[in-house]
Amino acid sequence: MATLNLDHVSKTYEQKGHPPTRAVIDFSMHIDDGEIVGLVGSSGCGKTSTLRMIAGFESITEGTVKVGHRTINDLKAADRNVAMAFEGYALYPPLTVEDNISFSLLRSKMPKKQASEKVRMIAELLEISDILGLYPPTLSGGQQQRVSLARALVRSADVFLLDEPMSQLEPHLRAKLRARIKDYLIEHQMTSVFVTHDQTEAMALADRIAVMDEGVLQQLGSPVDLKERPANLFVASFIGEPPRNLLPARVAVDGGSRKVVVQDEQGRDAFAFAMPALERAAELRDGRRVHLGIRPHKVMVGPVDGSGAAPVKGTVLSSQWLGDQTYLGVEVGGCILVVVADRAIQAAHDSPIELGLTPEALHFFDGETGVAIAHGTDLAAG
Amino acid sequence: MAYLEAKNLSKSFGKKKVLDNLSLEVERGECVVVFGPSGCGKTILLRLIAGVLEPDAGDVCIGGKSVMEVGPESRGVAMAFQNFALYPHMDAFENIASPLRARQVGEAEIKSKVHEIASLLRIDHVLDHLPRQLSNGQKQRTSLARSLVHGPAVLMLDDPLRNVDAKIRYEMRLELPRVFRRFQSTVLYVTQDYKEALALGQRVGVLLDGRFEQVDSPVGIYTNPKNQRVANLFGDPPINLFSIRPERSDGKVVATIGGHRVDLGPARAKLEGQPCVLGVRPEDVALSFEPTQEGIPVELEAVTPFNVRTVTLLKTPDATELLASRPEDNTLATARGHRKGFARIDLERALFFDQATGARLL
Repeated sequence: MATLNLDHVSKTYEQKGHPPTRAVIDFSMHIDDGEIVGLVGSSGCGKTSTLRMIAGFESITEGTVKVGHRTINDLKAADRNVAMAFEGYALYPPLTVEDNISFSLLRSKMPKKQASEKVRMIAELLEISDILGLYPPTLSGGQQQRVSLARALVRSADVFLLDEPMSQLEPHLRAKLRARIKDYLIEHQMTSVFVTHDQTEAMALADRIAVMDEGVLQQLGSPVDLKERPANLFVASFIGEPPRNLLPARVAVDGGSRKVVVQDEQGRDAFAFAMPALERAAELRDGRRVHLGIRPHKVMVGPVDGSGAAPVKGTVLSSQWLGDQTYLGVEVGGCILVVVADRAIQAAHDSPIELGLTPEALHFFDGETGVAIAHGTDLAAG
Repeated sequence: MAYLEAKNLSKSFGKKKVLDNLSLEVERGECVVVFGPSGCGKTILLRLIAGVLEPDAGDVCIGGKSVMEVGPESRGVAMAFQNFALYPHMDAFENIASPLRARQVGEAEIKSKVHEIASLLRIDHVLDHLPRQLSNGQKQRTSLARSLVHGPAVLMLDDPLRNVDAKIRYEMRLELPRVFRRFQSTVLYVTQDYKEALALGQRVGVLLDGRFEQVDSPVGIYTNPKNQRVANLFGDPPINLFSIRPERSDGKVVATIGGHRVDLGPARAKLEGQPCVLGVRPEDVALSFEPTQEGIPVELEAVTPFNVRTVTLLKTPDATELLASRPEDNTLATARGHRKGFARIDLERALFFDQATGARLL
């Protein structure tokens, strides 16, 4: 239970005969006591190097890492009071699952009875009660991962570091275990940093998420921030499932009224729309090239009259009911839009359909740099 | 008469019986999905139908005729794989054209057919690229184009979207039905992803332990599962399951769920006295913070935003857990810590299974 501060942290790998690899570049982040932060990005983005620097498995090339008031740069991993569940941080093969989990508790002189009780509780949480007497080599990947998690979570430490904590988890256990782990971390006020390539997992667990790309922090924000106000095109494309629709477009101001002209993959004009909220966006100058982001589940399905949404007419490619939601593929002027609805939609393939673009569905990014220009949510409110 | 028929197919490897007396019919122009976890035998089934593997017993018929004596190259079956399997030294055009060249089709016809299908699959602008110059999504479309271009009688797709990234996967999932319709293909599609199964199949065959547990429309599989195993495989988060023992009380059929007495309604009268398992999907559990009729008092333990929905972990007074899900709710999602609430189960949509066998009762 402590704060964690990364102050202009960089990691550069030197390799003989090769130019140095800058894996993490000038990364700063303040994490509050008890906060849960996720590091996400594609492989090679620097998230794992960052976690390993905090853990003490990698040296810190530049900058400082502080746990509470202590600067830990020069401390060995074992002296940092940091608990870890790392891919490759093996369980002790000659010890049972139970003994693996209780090892550090007993070593810190916790009474056996108390330690056993803690082990019992965490085992129940992670559904490994029935394998407490088994040995690591006999366990499946998913079971080993849960034991490794149990071993870390049962400790009292200043910071908890989790590397892809649920990547091997059996799919039918995922939803429940995610929720239980989140509850456990919050109840025990555990300052936690976890790395995942799965943005769904990050969005489920984290108070805030750091999105990284090529060693650079792209955005640090709450799940709601990342969904509603992605800072740039990369964040917009990485966060969100199904992925945000991202289309090239240009702004046309015609007689004082602003219009967005969307283009298809080959640069041809596909469709256009206008809405009152756009009038407030002075940055959307005539002729400006942008990337338009459209959130799949914020698009209205069906006739828009009276709702204030901008109508867009298209053809149904397919309507796919998935039990608790419906996915629609709609072709609009040569572009394909993915739309998600909360209910069953009767839409025969190749039939015409009207969609409604609401301000909340839209994001505008600069056509060159990809930096966010405006978010519909803000335009609507203003 | 079905166009493609697998009849009583069995296949063992050593002592392991992978497919056990399996039968399946696919109508002409239909897309049937074979769904099951890894290792359930889906790929073996495709290979038996393709003719690259021989069954221990059973028959495969295409167009009403047995093809057991027909070699794989003459069965009129095309396959596309998750690893694309493109010829690395040929550009996309030549890859797609290859089945036509093998059949000595004329140059003009080859050009026309390749361009037609490339345009439909939106890869016409990269036909001169080599496979290593194509993105995974483009490679998969090229692989698909190649399998479709000569108009195969049966198209078999073995988990083709597995290695394609999320954005392309969603787009292709939405585009594939139109491609199949355009070619009037009879399609057998294999996947481990239940969403893909529900999205693409006109019927879905759930393959478990070498047998089809259920073959039904997507709606049928999801709302009318034959047993608990099938119910559990479709839906994320998975269906909530409670062991109950319905009994009669004050003229009503009631059961204790999470320590709270719930009226199951007169339609469940036949379950009286029978220990069973009540299944209710998270989207059919409504969480509120005001007391409601039939609402089970619960403690909200954690909120996990889940893509376009928000999932909550609830615990009843007797420590039973259940998951409830609702459309994206940012206010709820940012709340931290426990809260008291009420969970109302939509009993109309509840499913009841036999406690011992898992078979569906109601």
